[in-house]
Amino acid sequence: MTPGLLLLFAAAVMAAGIAVGLRWPRAWLGLTLAGTIAALAAAGVVLVGAPDWEWRSAFSVGSEPLHLRLDGLSAMFLVLVSVVGGAGTVYAHEYWPDRLYPESAPRGRAWWSTLLLSLGWVLVSSNGLHFLLGWELFTVAAYFLITLERARPEVRKAGWLYLAASHAGTACLFAFFATLAARTGSWDLGPMREQTGLAPLLWLVLAGFGVKAGLFPLHIWLPSAHANAPSHVSAIMSGVAVKMGVYGLVRFSGWLPVPAAAGWVVLGLGAVSALLGIAFAMAQDDLKRLLAYCTVENVGIILTGLGAAMLGAAHGDAPWGRLALAGALLHVWNHGAFKSLLFFGAGSVLHATGTREMSRLGGLWRAMPWTAGLFALGAMAVAGLPPLNGFVSEWLVYLGLFGAVTARGASAWAALPAAIMLAAAGALALATFVKAATVVFLGAPRSKVADHAHECGPGMRAPMLTLAGVCVVLGLAPVLLWPAVSRAAGAWHPAWAIAEAPAPLFTLGMVQLALAVLAAGAAVWLWRRAHANGVQRGPTWDCGYAAPAARMQYTSGSFGGIASGWFGWLLQPERRLRRPRGPLPTGASRVERIPETVLERLIFPVGDVVLQASTAVRRLQHGRLQFYVLYVVIGLAAIGALVMAGGNS
Amino acid sequence: MIAVFDFVCRLALWVMLAPLLPGLINKVKAWVAGRRGPPVLQLYYDLARLWQKGVVLSTLVSPGFVAGPAVAWVALIGAAMLLPLGPAGVVFGFRGDVLLLIYLLALARFGTTWAAMETGSAFEGMGAAREVSYAVLAEAAMIAAVLTLSVQTGSISLDTMLEPTTGPGAVLLAGGLFTVLLAENCRVPFDDPNTHLELTMIHEVMVLDHSGPPLAVILHGAAIKLLLFSVLLTQAVLPMGDLGPVAAAGALAGGVLAVTAGVGLVESLMARFAFRRVPLLLTTAFLLCLFALLVAWKGGAS
Repeated sequence: MTPGLLLLFAAAVMAAGIAVGLRWPRAWLGLTLAGTIAALAAAGVVLVGAPDWEWRSAFSVGSEPLHLRLDGLSAMFLVLVSVVGGAGTVYAHEYWPDRLYPESAPRGRAWWSTLLLSLGWVLVSSNGLHFLLGWELFTVAAYFLITLERARPEVRKAGWLYLAASHAGTACLFAFFATLAARTGSWDLGPMREQTGLAPLLWLVLAGFGVKAGLFPLHIWLPSAHANAPSHVSAIMSGVAVKMGVYGLVRFSGWLPVPAAAGWVVLGLGAVSALLGIAFAMAQDDLKRLLAYCTVENVGIILTGLGAAMLGAAHGDAPWGRLALAGALLHVWNHGAFKSLLFFGAGSVLHATGTREMSRLGGLWRAMPWTAGLFALGAMAVAGLPPLNGFVSEWLVYLGLFGAVTARGASAWAALPAAIMLAAAGALALATFVKAATVVFLGAPRSKVADHAHECGPGMRAPMLTLAGVCVVLGLAPVLLWPAVSRAAGAWHPAWAIAEAPAPLFTLGMVQLALAVLAAGAAVWLWRRAHANGVQRGPTWDCGYAAPAARMQYTSGSFGGIASGWFGWLLQPERRLRRPRGPLPTGASRVERIPETVLERLIFPVGDVVLQASTAVRRLQHGRLQFYVLYVVIGLAAIGALVMAGGNS
Repeated sequence: MIAVFDFVCRLALWVMLAPLLPGLINKVKAWVAGRRGPPVLQLYYDLARLWQKGVVLSTLVSPGFVAGPAVAWVALIGAAMLLPLGPAGVVFGFRGDVLLLIYLLALARFGTTWAAMETGSAFEGMGAAREVSYAVLAEAAMIAAVLTLSVQTGSISLDTMLEPTTGPGAVLLAGGLFTVLLAENCRVPFDDPNTHLELTMIHEVMVLDHSGPPLAVILHGAAIKLLLFSVLLTQAVLPMGDLGPVAAAGALAGGVLAVTAGVGLVESLMARFAFRRVPLLLTTAFLLCLFALLVAWKGGAS
């Protein structure tokens, strides 16, 4: 079947899903899954070698003829939408059922299908106006999904922040598409690299899509929105919706001519996002907020790769640029897989305990062995550890940066600090995820809720297992994916559509496979050896501590204290300390909160000033007619004076 | 066939020789202090004894308590097998394998800290937190050192990038890498492998609750890591490209011995730093590597 028919089928069943979802959850599940599978098949057909699918119709929407296109790049992102979308559909069916949420669940299903449909639309539409329509629908659908639990004030607040920030970005995109249409005379999109006059428009692209991608410092909406949304929504927001910003950046940096400074700026912003995003993540105590900040880090890694690719393309199509681009594109898939897995795991913890505060959790592995194991796998993947997928894409980005360094051109001055910052960010990511996984799942339960946890059901386990499988396969056989990646790279820069994989990728896959087998073998062997000589069970020895209690364990705050202390200038933690006083102290407490610094220390103060100014101006409107007449007279007099003054010259 | 033989020989070499290093360090320390000290082969005896013992497991731990050290051990052996050995070169290598080496060390760190956190003990949590936090600076210094080497040689595979130059760059690089070696292997002045005061430790405190074969695997892995860093440091700063195979092998062995003796001397002559000064020392190591990088950059351009 051609991609066109598959896409038509996917769109049709997805649209049917919107209607059906309001009443019949099972039918909705079937239809949405069928839709995602059809979309996956369409993208797969293009990625394995079919020619790009392009369709122009005389039929017009908003007085613009329809123009759809599925090339390597959009197919790559469509795969992400369908895999995470399908997994999220199955997860939502158990996680957000009618039984528990009779009011919001039907709404949630309808908006979920709308979101998937609009994401697909954004990816295939090749007309500026239709792109914007799809983009707006996607933003609104995501808003309603984030605010499913709108009875809670913090959810409403997060939703408003998201909506406001998104529309600030969309305003840039309106300006971009309108200017583009005015300059080229048509809303139609396509490669226009030779029209060099369009180059400055890329800055608008960077601002507009950067907000959606959560690029530092435009990430202000991201942590609260991703933390307060239901977990299947957080997963698709973090794994997929954020990638739409990346898609926009990759798409238009490929189609438009690129200003000379763009590569430097994107690379710099990417490296800064990677380091500062993970520094914020390290300091969080809220599990889902931690994952959200980590998304900022991963988008930073992706954009570091993209920036290096832009530099490579600008400096004579250097082969290291191709490696960096491949790493960036592969990281789009990888991050989608492991971040959704981690959000599903966090959702399962939230489902079982009702809290996202890590300091109240602990010891969950006993009640939730599946979630614990799968979360640990996701944590290893996101920390970029071999033999999982995160390492492969980070390795490719590093190869690109090192290539730039050894080539010793001007780009080396960007690549050198970026490589060092990525290394520090990688080590911080390891620290962050050791903290997240071990504080939540290991040790002793720190509160009653953690003690009474239960494992999630098969409907939530299956999508997690699927995504974990994706992480393992992408890690062990990266060379299989090379054709797809190189197809997408070809859509970005035609000269880079080389089919054969770089030789080390195959070797790396073999090494990763050997490593996985040996590590598993060694673990089993050591387990047996440890049990061969007899096992004695007892309380944790702890150097002979007499009465260990769960409250004495290291918490997330104490674990992250050292590293987040180094970033105190940025994090500006708010501490409230109540010391024990007197001979018989009644109580003591220490509360620490990490504010979203950019939002609370930069944007809110500016917003306050604007608000105060508007309030001051508003005093002019008070309902007294005499004064209004006076305003009119003053206004007329001013115009008169102006005309007189103008008439003299 | 020859490749397989080579592989097995190297594996045996790494596994068998690694426990020698801590023994040598202890001998040096004893010699400086005027004591007789434990036998050089003490770690071998310890490992053999631990391997025969049973284990005591905390009631809190999951199977990850045993799996963590096993994964860490495999990762460290894997990292060691990537390193070239003087005249023998590498058994296999590819472009960018040096990054795999760095990330394998990170995987080993994940395994050991995971196992430490299993016990729910505050002491072990403290050690794990220190381990992962200080590694941030150590990893930045490592990558700066690797960038130095690849700027010097224009290569990013271990087989060809370890061709040191002489001059101030090599001295700076040696200083930086030696400091990273001390930090990553938890030696004085970062950590004190002798102390039993838990509050002051990183590595030792993470293994408080381990016993029997898992402890043996952890100790052996730590010895391999020490040998790995010594071999890397020696080959990164000691030029031996012009020597014959036997002389080069001798130079490598001599270099490793010198590094070991250096660790022992530092440990005898210095006290452990207060923890708040550890990041400063690691930042110094990073800066040394960074200056080496700048020297290499300038040297190549002229």
